[in-house]
Amino acid sequence: MSVKTNVLPSEAQRHELVKSPLNGEGLYLLFNAGLTWLMTNQQHVNSLNVFPVPDGDTGTNMVLTMQAAVNEAEHAQTKNVGDMGRAFAQGALMGARGNSGVILSQIWRGFSRALDSSETMDPPLFLKALQEARNTAYKGVVRPVEGTILTVIKDVTAAAEETVTKDTNLSDMLVLIVEAADESVQRTPELLPILKQTGVVDSGGKGLFYIFEGMLRLIQKLPLDVSNAVIKPLDQVKLVHAMDSVEEGQDYEVVIDFEPNGSFSLESYYDDLGKIGTSIQVGEGDGIYRMHIHTALDRRYEPISYTESIGTVKKIMMENLQEQVNGKKSEGEKFKLNPINPGEIAVVAVSPGKGLSSIFASLGVAAIVEGGQTMNPSVKDLVSAFENLPTDKVIILPNNKNIFLAAQNAVKVTTKKIVIIPTRNTPQGFAAMLRLMPEGTLQENEEAMNESIQEVHTGEITTAIRSVEIDGVQVKKGEVIVLFDGKLVVSARSIEDAATQLMEKVQMDDFERITIFYGADMTQARVNQLVDGIRKQYPDHEVEVHEGGQPHYQLIIAFE
Amino acid sequence: MTSQENKIGQIYILPRAIRTVARAVALQSYGVINLAPRNFLEAVNRLVCKDSDYGIKVATSAEGLVLELSLIIEYGLRIKSVSDSVAESVKFNVEKTMGIPVQRVDVHVRGLRISNAD
Repeated sequence: MSVKTNVLPSEAQRHELVKSPLNGEGLYLLFNAGLTWLMTNQQHVNSLNVFPVPDGDTGTNMVLTMQAAVNEAEHAQTKNVGDMGRAFAQGALMGARGNSGVILSQIWRGFSRALDSSETMDPPLFLKALQEARNTAYKGVVRPVEGTILTVIKDVTAAAEETVTKDTNLSDMLVLIVEAADESVQRTPELLPILKQTGVVDSGGKGLFYIFEGMLRLIQKLPLDVSNAVIKPLDQVKLVHAMDSVEEGQDYEVVIDFEPNGSFSLESYYDDLGKIGTSIQVGEGDGIYRMHIHTALDRRYEPISYTESIGTVKKIMMENLQEQVNGKKSEGEKFKLNPINPGEIAVVAVSPGKGLSSIFASLGVAAIVEGGQTMNPSVKDLVSAFENLPTDKVIILPNNKNIFLAAQNAVKVTTKKIVIIPTRNTPQGFAAMLRLMPEGTLQENEEAMNESIQEVHTGEITTAIRSVEIDGVQVKKGEVIVLFDGKLVVSARSIEDAATQLMEKVQMDDFERITIFYGADMTQARVNQLVDGIRKQYPDHEVEVHEGGQPHYQLIIAFE
Repeated sequence: MTSQENKIGQIYILPRAIRTVARAVALQSYGVINLAPRNFLEAVNRLVCKDSDYGIKVATSAEGLVLELSLIIEYGLRIKSVSDSVAESVKFNVEKTMGIPVQRVDVHVRGLRISNAD
């Protein structure tokens, strides 16, 4: 998925912005900063979901809603703060996605109503806008659930009501708002038991906090595209970075290993690098630091000379990303896809891993879209996969319930005849592919495929990302959990243990064949050992093993 | 009526109980202002009876419950997103509390409430 890069305002513009009262352009910059900072922290917001499998999308929904709003505001091109607010609220309404997106759109709707047709916004009007935002947000629900984004906007407004006067300046007001939002988010587990049980704070509330914090960071001249300085273990800062797209103007990747002089401050190092480029990461191991940055062509030597000024440079690696992306595209499609004759039925499959993709290719799919549990492809990704095929009969295999919606939306934007087979996982996708009749009608294929997906049952083995109790099964963070046909059935200490327990739970007599697809983080040796055990235990069953290469799920097991 | 068997007997769950759960969940869902009577009978019932549970129809099919909600939604929200959320949380909560699979949830938007026209 390509992400829109937001151009940060120059120093001069920021300076202009701090000047209260704020005009329409200033408000736009604030909103844009909120969006950029939210995008930077999107994955964190997504991770605050209350189920043990990584499928949170609150952050994504909020980003999409904010993006629609900022796009609309961008086109407004007005200096009038009221008009700008209205355009922004309109965009948020149109682009609202998910529950948190709807509430967010309602917050901005109230916010903009208070601005009315004012030329500029000063802190007292800002306060009035917050009050109206809170009132409007609460009007949208009969029985408000506290401990959510609603509570956060309420607490923020209350804090502002207490302290904002005519003499307050914008920067102080934002400091106050961000502090109040932070405290409110920290309190959400006290108000909403499920959050406490899961050990997280509310994701929507946290998202709203990031939006306000982004606005403050803009005024404080802090970088918006680097999340708070964190040191990763050295091996996590990869030399060759997996790239889908290159940010405009950031063509070069520079990686430097260095040993800093006595006094090294990570914070200021991050800040200074932030002026040179984007996507900054710093790793450390045994006193050696590794720095990773993307910069423009004409600035590619700056990180080197800068790093030389603070320490001893050990090693430098530089790469032209544009080349890398071009190269990767051709390398990515190693498997051969089935050529489609005009008028035949083409199948588009969503696949989470390389190994799985090549199995799909061997079964005869016409196009493959990469995606899965936490990397949902966009509607555009899906449409562009089949739009150029020489046929108007297309079958989509989403292979994950999180992708159903995107698939349904893809149907709406194309003139081709599309059938979606509701495959919830990859084995169901394979089962459906085995029934493909390229020369049959769409209806015949649909019936056959829908029948086939009932016949395969799927076990999925993954690691819980936090402690929780679901369906009466206790799960601790880091424990291995087993899902059977999408339901959590058992938790275990190791993957081997999980596989054994799964086999015990399943009525093995009902099946003849077990197919195992192992994920990206499993070694072949480990899988072989595991499979030997299964073969010994169930000598009458046929056991097959394939490299799936999927992330998150160590094993996907099909029972037929 | 849906029934499940346990070790010592049958458990019968009447549609009214399911409607109560669905109603509570729907009203907690963001953007839903109220349920709306589905027909004349329900409308009269609503006036006469104190705790009438209008606006929700429960049917059963081989694959599970089929729920039909008729709702009043707040004006100024994206109706599609609101409806999606209600349907999803009703399905999730009914399945969780009742232990019966829900096959479909159909949402009928009967009207919008305008609290702020802008």
